[in-house]
Amino acid sequence: MVDQETVSVSKGIFVFRNNFKRSKKSSKKQPSKPKKDEFSDNLWYLKYTDLWEELNNKYEKLTSEMFTAMTSDLLEFVSISHRDPVAEIPTAALLTGINMPDHEAQFINLKRQIKTDITPHVAFLHSEDCTSLKYLIENMINQFIKDSTEDDDDNVNTNNLKKSDLSLPLLQSWYEHMYPVKTEKNLLVVIVPDFESFNTKVLQTFILIISSYLPKLPFMFVFGIATCINTLHTSFPYHVTSKTNVKVFRCEPSTVHLNKMLEGVFLSPFCPFQLGGKVFDLFTEIFLYYDFSVRNFVQNIKFAIMEHFCYGNAMALCQLNRHDVKEILEVFTHEDFENVRHLMSFRKFVESEPYENQIRLLTDDEYFKLIVHEKIIIIQRYIRGFHVVLKCLYTLVSDLPGAPLGKNYREIYAYAVSKPIAQSNEYRECLQLLNFQSKKYLYDKLMSIKNIINEFSKKKTQFGDFLNEICDLIDLLNNLDSEANQEVEKMDSNTGMGQVTDRKAFKSNLLSRSQQKPKPLNKYEKIRIDVLYCLTKHFQLFLVEPSRMPFYEIFFFDDISIKSKIIGMHRSAIHNALNDPNHYLQCNCCEISNSQTIKATMPDICIAYKLHLECGKMINLYDWLQAFLYIVDPKESDDFDDKSNKLVDPELQARFTQAVAELEYLGFIKSSKRKADHVARLTWGG
Amino acid sequence: MDENLLILKKSFPGRASQIDQLWNFFGTTREPFPPTLYISGGSSTGKSSIISALLKALSIKHAMINLVECYTSKILFESILNQLSGHEIDPKIGAPFARCDNLMDFVEHIQKMSLAGSVIVIDKAEELRNMEFNLLPGFLTLQELTNVQISVIFLSEIAFEKYYYKLNILEPFKLHFPQYTKDELLEILALDFDYLENVSTSCDRDFYRNYLNVFLSVFYRACRDLSELRHMSRKNFIVYCEPIDKNQLTVHDSMALWKHISPIFTASMQVLYLRTSNDSSKPLAQNLELPFYTKYLLIAAYLASYNSAKDDKRLFTKYHGKKTKTRKDVNRKNKVSDKLNTQMGPTTFTLDRLLAIFYSILEDKVGFNNHLLVQVSSLVELQLLSLASDPSTLDDRKYKCNVNFETIQSVSRMVGFNIRKYLSDFSHM
Repeated sequence: MVDQETVSVSKGIFVFRNNFKRSKKSSKKQPSKPKKDEFSDNLWYLKYTDLWEELNNKYEKLTSEMFTAMTSDLLEFVSISHRDPVAEIPTAALLTGINMPDHEAQFINLKRQIKTDITPHVAFLHSEDCTSLKYLIENMINQFIKDSTEDDDDNVNTNNLKKSDLSLPLLQSWYEHMYPVKTEKNLLVVIVPDFESFNTKVLQTFILIISSYLPKLPFMFVFGIATCINTLHTSFPYHVTSKTNVKVFRCEPSTVHLNKMLEGVFLSPFCPFQLGGKVFDLFTEIFLYYDFSVRNFVQNIKFAIMEHFCYGNAMALCQLNRHDVKEILEVFTHEDFENVRHLMSFRKFVESEPYENQIRLLTDDEYFKLIVHEKIIIIQRYIRGFHVVLKCLYTLVSDLPGAPLGKNYREIYAYAVSKPIAQSNEYRECLQLLNFQSKKYLYDKLMSIKNIINEFSKKKTQFGDFLNEICDLIDLLNNLDSEANQEVEKMDSNTGMGQVTDRKAFKSNLLSRSQQKPKPLNKYEKIRIDVLYCLTKHFQLFLVEPSRMPFYEIFFFDDISIKSKIIGMHRSAIHNALNDPNHYLQCNCCEISNSQTIKATMPDICIAYKLHLECGKMINLYDWLQAFLYIVDPKESDDFDDKSNKLVDPELQARFTQAVAELEYLGFIKSSKRKADHVARLTWGG
Repeated sequence: MDENLLILKKSFPGRASQIDQLWNFFGTTREPFPPTLYISGGSSTGKSSIISALLKALSIKHAMINLVECYTSKILFESILNQLSGHEIDPKIGAPFARCDNLMDFVEHIQKMSLAGSVIVIDKAEELRNMEFNLLPGFLTLQELTNVQISVIFLSEIAFEKYYYKLNILEPFKLHFPQYTKDELLEILALDFDYLENVSTSCDRDFYRNYLNVFLSVFYRACRDLSELRHMSRKNFIVYCEPIDKNQLTVHDSMALWKHISPIFTASMQVLYLRTSNDSSKPLAQNLELPFYTKYLLIAAYLASYNSAKDDKRLFTKYHGKKTKTRKDVNRKNKVSDKLNTQMGPTTFTLDRLLAIFYSILEDKVGFNNHLLVQVSSLVELQLLSLASDPSTLDDRKYKCNVNFETIQSVSRMVGFNIRKYLSDFSHM
């Protein structure tokens, strides 16, 4: 049969596909067997996926809610933009802020909203697809026409238009075909998410063209501008700007977005995974100092969660539901308990126990289980109390002048998880400021504290005392109103300066006043002291730092060593790898005691690299080679001085040449034209 | 006289002589049309609208092409043929009347169709300078090439002499549309009354003319562009009528109305040509939110762009040694402002220099990490820096800083950095 197939008049080459069949897309998607990951059976991995899924869902829901609220104005503008006949292209300039990685999701969200609410015709133009006008227009028309044909009938490949035919006259006839005269017409919306990256010339011409079609095709633009509105004015000349009618919309700044996200998802009493102070500070630093990107922040948190759960099955206990904890403890094996025993805080805990208990804790799994369960429940209660009371503290101090504890919840949080906040100087400062506040202010604050506690715990078990005391104090303040008026009158009689006629009398008057004992406190002031005392007492009770508790590591992640993984330092990584290959290779042969040592067993490139560190700006290749040979093959080089014209072993020379070529490829050296047989070094220092 | 001519003249005030001339060219079908006609004149002087109204009134078969739209000559040819043949594109197939890639094909297709007495109008003809070289000579001699009685009208904002052709090409008939005078503008804007009639019920034509008089007395000095003036007058007329609609003033209180409108006119003058619906006249820097290190990177980029590399040692190192004063330095002190580095425009700098300056102006120690490098490219993406070297090579990348002094000053104020101290223009003051 094969012979038959290849019989041919002419000489030819025949392709046999070897029964190769391209795997169909559908077969791939069929979940025949979900791919087993290496740890998919491990308890901690299962718990990790559960937790992350829950958090991620929450986060996505929150972002889309936030964005929906933000874009409602924009959507309204889009929907009414062509209600009256217009002379200019209605244009919405959306100031997005420079947090680039977050934009993608926002604009996809926006596109979806416009599509569902306003018009099916939305084109999304990325700068990388639109390097020239031709590509831009073809891309746009393709999106308009393709989307509509997909909606019409499910045959995907009805669109057999040639790419070169995609021009505006075609779009016009398509549009007129779709919406014959006197039917309700839908807008054509063009979204440009990254305005700055666009070639302005292309965009200018595009606007001019569209404006000439405006009477026939109801276009409108949405520009995403990352910097500010002036960019729009500076990139277009007058005859282009006059063709558009720009309305500016503002996104919320990314810091606000971050705060909402943190308060809503991660820093809440409903999230079992808690970030420790150091790691949290690291993440906020990256956010504020480097990228302003909320998405990156969430990815960092995800990484921290993964790192946290990686520790082992002990982390499966990171649950807020006490029944779950019980169930998990039931299935724990001896190894798992050992895993828990390895926690640092357990050691401290054991040492504080009496001797016989120590033995039991270390050997008796059943007893240990009980203790762990008990302690975990304490931590669960603690986390709940911590967040609720911290929220109370936050409402109390966030709007004080100067905000000694910070204006944002995240700042207070970062402080409170690392230090006992109620004993800090900043807290004392806050108390002093609170001592000057009016009754109205204090009353409002107490009310909002009461609301927060009520909102979080309906059973009022944990916060019962706290709540009762607050309610009492509120009552006291309320009752004060009737008595207050009399007080004021009394005060007034005292405050008068009396008759002062000359400077001397005035001075003595002032002196006598300052020597007087401080005025007796009025009723309100007494209550104020009570209020602050009561609050401080509870703050001290609830807001202890977590590291005091045994097994706190199960819930709190504070391993700052992830910094090197979160912030990549490629130069130092390369330097490390070349300078100390043992660090990555983990072999015994390359171990070195100090960083200057060079060993013959190291890879060639490392030897060449370490030698080149000793050189100045220009490196003589011959000297380099000799040094290389001396290390790689010390025996032969010993008598090097005697026979200076000795030939170099070609194998060694080849190895050296390769190492040099690799260094050049990595960008450490560059061949130089200035000096023969020399290469230029491109890095500084040794 | 033809009735059409009268209507045309009435709807285009101030253009009587041009319309007359055009009428002489195209008014009678017994005489052949001129083979080519070149109409020049500033923007919104009525070129396109008069031509299209005239051709429509005379029912001459014609094609109107805006060259801005024709990014390839293929589109130009095909849309002319589509229009002349009355071809309608079927959105399912998308094919034009005829495929036509070059001038040769185009001439052939013209010959095949019976097009005697038709006209091709090419708007924004100045674009021809950027298109294929044979298009202008080709269109100028189209009648000769095709042997068909077809004429071509060019509409352009520049004079024909600006086309710099070495060839001895046939010069077309020329017609100039001059700028409108103030009185003519008044006449034209007065036609707007129909549009505005429903804005305010209580005003009549005279009232509107009075408003225009006031309006033009302010705006005529700053702007002669009809479409911009029309936009402004429409926008401001609504405000002008407000007190009347609220019954605070009557139509005859012209002085009070003037007092009411004059501050609004001044405000509108500020945003002339910038069409934003809500005013956000805040300066750039106030809206510019950047992460902390990115701000410093931007400052470092500005310093690198506006200082010469010679001065780096003196500005950024603590112990730079003593410098003997030379005659040159003394002269430099007396620099006139247009020789200041800050006035000279940005110079390019390498990434190495940027980072060196960045580390020297930043007080706290920060590791050299990838987040920082990403910020450099993100600044490029935001057009705050621009890449001055070949984007395809990774070696020796050069950049330029695109922000101005005011912006950088307010950025550095935000981070508490005294930028003047580090600019060689200011440092010896």
